[in-house]
Amino acid sequence: MNRRDLLISAGLAPFALQAMSRWSVALAQDGSRIFTLANPTGFPDLDPSTSFSNDGLVLANIYETLTRYVPGTADAPATVAPLLAESWQASDDGMIWTFKLRQGVKFHDGAELTAEAVKGSIDRTMQIGGGASFIWSAVTAITAPDAQTVVFTLSSAQPLDLIASAGFAGWIISPAALEKDNAWFNAGNDGGTGPFRIDRYEPGQRVVATRFADYWGGTPEAGFDTAVFEVVEDSVLAQSMIESGSADWTYNLPFDNLDGLQANPELQVVANPSFENLFALLNTRRAPLDRPRVRQALALAFPYDDVIAAGTAGLGTRSRGILPPGIWGHDPDAPMVMTDLEAARAILAEEGLAKTGLELTLTYVTSDALEALAGELWKANLETLGITLILQPMSWEAMWELSKADPGQAQDILLLYWWATYVTPYDYLLNIFHSEESPIFNLAYYSNPAFDKLIDEAAALSGTDRAKAEEMFKTAQRMVIEDAPAVFILDKPNVHILRSDVKGYADNPAYGHVVFVNDLSR
Amino acid sequence: MSSLLQRLGWQGALSLTVILIAFGLALVAPWAAPFPDQGAGAPSIASKFLPPSADHFLGTDHLGRDMLSRVIYGARVSLTSGLLIVAFALLVGLPVGVLAGYFGGWLDEGLMRLTDVFLAFPALLLAVLMAAALGPGLLNSIVAVAVTWWPWYARMARAEVLALRGQPYVEAAQLMGVSHPRIILRHVLPAAVRPISVQAALDVGPALLTASALSFLGLGVSPPIADWGQMVDAGRKFFPERWWYSAAPGIAVFVLALAFSILGDALRDRAGGRRDGSA
Repeated sequence: MNRRDLLISAGLAPFALQAMSRWSVALAQDGSRIFTLANPTGFPDLDPSTSFSNDGLVLANIYETLTRYVPGTADAPATVAPLLAESWQASDDGMIWTFKLRQGVKFHDGAELTAEAVKGSIDRTMQIGGGASFIWSAVTAITAPDAQTVVFTLSSAQPLDLIASAGFAGWIISPAALEKDNAWFNAGNDGGTGPFRIDRYEPGQRVVATRFADYWGGTPEAGFDTAVFEVVEDSVLAQSMIESGSADWTYNLPFDNLDGLQANPELQVVANPSFENLFALLNTRRAPLDRPRVRQALALAFPYDDVIAAGTAGLGTRSRGILPPGIWGHDPDAPMVMTDLEAARAILAEEGLAKTGLELTLTYVTSDALEALAGELWKANLETLGITLILQPMSWEAMWELSKADPGQAQDILLLYWWATYVTPYDYLLNIFHSEESPIFNLAYYSNPAFDKLIDEAAALSGTDRAKAEEMFKTAQRMVIEDAPAVFILDKPNVHILRSDVKGYADNPAYGHVVFVNDLSR
Repeated sequence: MSSLLQRLGWQGALSLTVILIAFGLALVAPWAAPFPDQGAGAPSIASKFLPPSADHFLGTDHLGRDMLSRVIYGARVSLTSGLLIVAFALLVGLPVGVLAGYFGGWLDEGLMRLTDVFLAFPALLLAVLMAAALGPGLLNSIVAVAVTWWPWYARMARAEVLALRGQPYVEAAQLMGVSHPRIILRHVLPAAVRPISVQAALDVGPALLTASALSFLGLGVSPPIADWGQMVDAGRKFFPERWWYSAAPGIAVFVLALAFSILGDALRDRAGGRRDGSA
């Protein structure tokens, strides 16, 4: 999701300072026990109830959820594994879920993990109602019959074990921290059970987390004592840090540099398919993009193959509709628009838009090389059709503010990355295309009551009749493809770069750009 | 030509030649560039990241565009912004300085304190803030830099006019009842303009350098218009493997700014002028 890509271009001076200051962290301890992550964005919100952005990387090492999603392999399907919950079961109708908690889990403040703490954590998240709290929307009551048992009552059958594995809004928080406000968490305090605890937080600079001695899950041999989450917004600095060994992990380096990085024996480049895809959202509330035919013409004019070849070094793949492969509901036979300038020209002529000097504004994140390239290549194609695409790179915050304000005054086209909050088709369809009274991520301002009804019903069915729900989600996707409120550009590969002496790294696509540092060793 | 050489010295003459060539290339870019459509921004993915060769004298960029063509087209933006910044700054600074110097008193105090307010900020910082507030775009970045530039001309003009105001011929004109606008336009301004114009010529180099710095920071023209500062920034991500991407526009900025600076020195030596520490 692009909300996690708060990349802002800036001068070089702060980076030099940043590099210097990192040395002071490194010098204080034996460097080999420190794992340094060069993250391309800052961490907007460290409150586990409301975090819904790039902060997931930090929180996933500090807090834990009841369950964890384990991606499928060639031999085994994806499963949900125990984490803070040791076991669980659902009633036959899928409306009541009972979780048994792990024994002997301690919070960082010394308190024991209890059913009351779990109830309190999810109650707090639902009460605040921010961030990704929508994942709990089917929960009507939580009870704690004894210290190790939590019972959820739902309004419709839902896969609550999967929901509980979400990368946002599912964190369990210590009872003492539950009473604190957002500012307390963002001052560098935490109340987690995870393998690391926040030691120091310098907003916009870094989070330094140290190992929690009483962690229930143990530590791998030669594991790390300290995790340093450095904010490195400049890809040139991130690359020099990983090459020189002053960072151990990074991503978002230009795809064109991967050859050189792969040839470097000191580095490992890990490329995996991801659940992340790139959309161009078309403003359906403003002329002339309020007409589906005109939107279809724009989709026909998009240079899909060139963007994949030039922007992702061939690693990206064409999107088939909204859902990427690996998420159930993905439709491998969904119609796919091919670049066809003549067809686009014919539609524009029919719509009376040939040679009218039409100007459209495209907003995207300033420092995102792939988005910039997509914009430049699309602009070149549209120019041959007599449409001027005005490229407007902006900081993510500014761009999001503009798009959320008044659709009539907003951009014509906006580029957005999305990845799953938890692994469900509903997350993509709901957040990007369901009608919204005040837009949050439906930045095409698309509104189709038939679509809304269909996906809401499918979501309610997902727990009981997965096959039926899957069919409904596929139908819904085809409705959106037909209406073309978005151009489905590409499914993005996850490419992460690590030092080659780091062992145990595996990318989990359900947790976009998250590293579980406790799995690693050197 | 020989007299010009004598007057400017060989460095000055060389600089002038470089500047004239740059202007010439910028003017006839569609004919001078080997790949004019690529210079104007058309991508050519098949020829992505080619190193310098006979076909592409300065290599190609991330969209396969010929760097030589891009650099030639980039000269248009750089020279335009350099000239327009100085022109805008003169347009504001000159009247302010002349009015303050000629009328003196409260008007002088008021205008000069206003000028001081602008001078109190570090120039580049003010330009960056202005550009960020105005949003990206060529005109906006020109205005942003001009805002930091005009106070220097206001001060220079005021100093010149103060000296001229006491001249007998000005006093004579005043006694004869000639109107103020006429005295300013006919008797004061022509004499004040010469030293300021030397300074203005000198400033084109630093002005285009500042504009390049803004577009390096992403506050200049929007792609795919070729702009040297932006090209250096884009190429930085691929340095050093694809060194030619940043190097070509970088050297272009360097050479042109140096040429303006040397020419300015030569002009000043000739005019016997002085250096006012502008930006």
